[in-house]
Amino acid sequence: MVTYIVLFLMITGAVFILIASIGLLKMPDVYMRLSASTIAGTFGVASMLLAVAVHFGSFYVGLHILGVIIFLMLTVPISAHMLGRTAHVIGLKMWEKTLCDDLEGKLDDETLLYDGECIMEDKDPQEPESFTPGNEDDEDDEDDDDE
Amino acid sequence: MIQNVIVYFVLPVLSFSMLLIFFRLFKGPSLIDKVIALDLLVIVGIGAFSAYAVYLDKVAIVDISLVLALIAFLSTVAFTFYYSKQQKNL
Repeated sequence: MVTYIVLFLMITGAVFILIASIGLLKMPDVYMRLSASTIAGTFGVASMLLAVAVHFGSFYVGLHILGVIIFLMLTVPISAHMLGRTAHVIGLKMWEKTLCDDLEGKLDDETLLYDGECIMEDKDPQEPESFTPGNEDDEDDEDDDDE
Repeated sequence: MIQNVIVYFVLPVLSFSMLLIFFRLFKGPSLIDKVIALDLLVIVGIGAFSAYAVYLDKVAIVDISLVLALIAFLSTVAFTFYYSKQQKNL
């Protein structure tokens, strides 16, 4: 019974890693490649590590592997976020069928920090309604006026 | 039975995915693509080492996975940090 569980987890992980590499090869865009490889690769390698933990059946091996899985699930999104941010900072173009770019012109040129309308320094702190939900409507109105 | 499946299915699939990742690594239009390919390559390496630990039935190989995950995270973060700073100064 343990054998079949190990086989199922390991084959699932290998197939997900194959899907991740195919997505890395065939996607048309840097950001899509990043998304495909990160999500599927993390799930595949977590499944394979779970297969190792089930196969050995020891408590300490399970604890070790749980630590590795938690570490991967904490650090892989961080590195993916930094990669995508760097790709946007250096000006890599999106796919031509991408509909919108939410980060367009919202990064400060010198400090590379987020300079959009969600920064709350200039806002009045006594009006909490105008922070996040109202900004999208304002942006839409401005875009309509510009067009 | 586990060892047969690992030798005839899991490790060939991982090798084939490594081949595809190497293709993107040499082809990649920008340098960010190459870093993504290297990151995924280390993750596939963690999977291959875990499959090899089950194949050899030795617990000691599991320790490699933690070291590889740590090195992958640190190298990717350091690279993106300094690359964005370099591009900013140009």
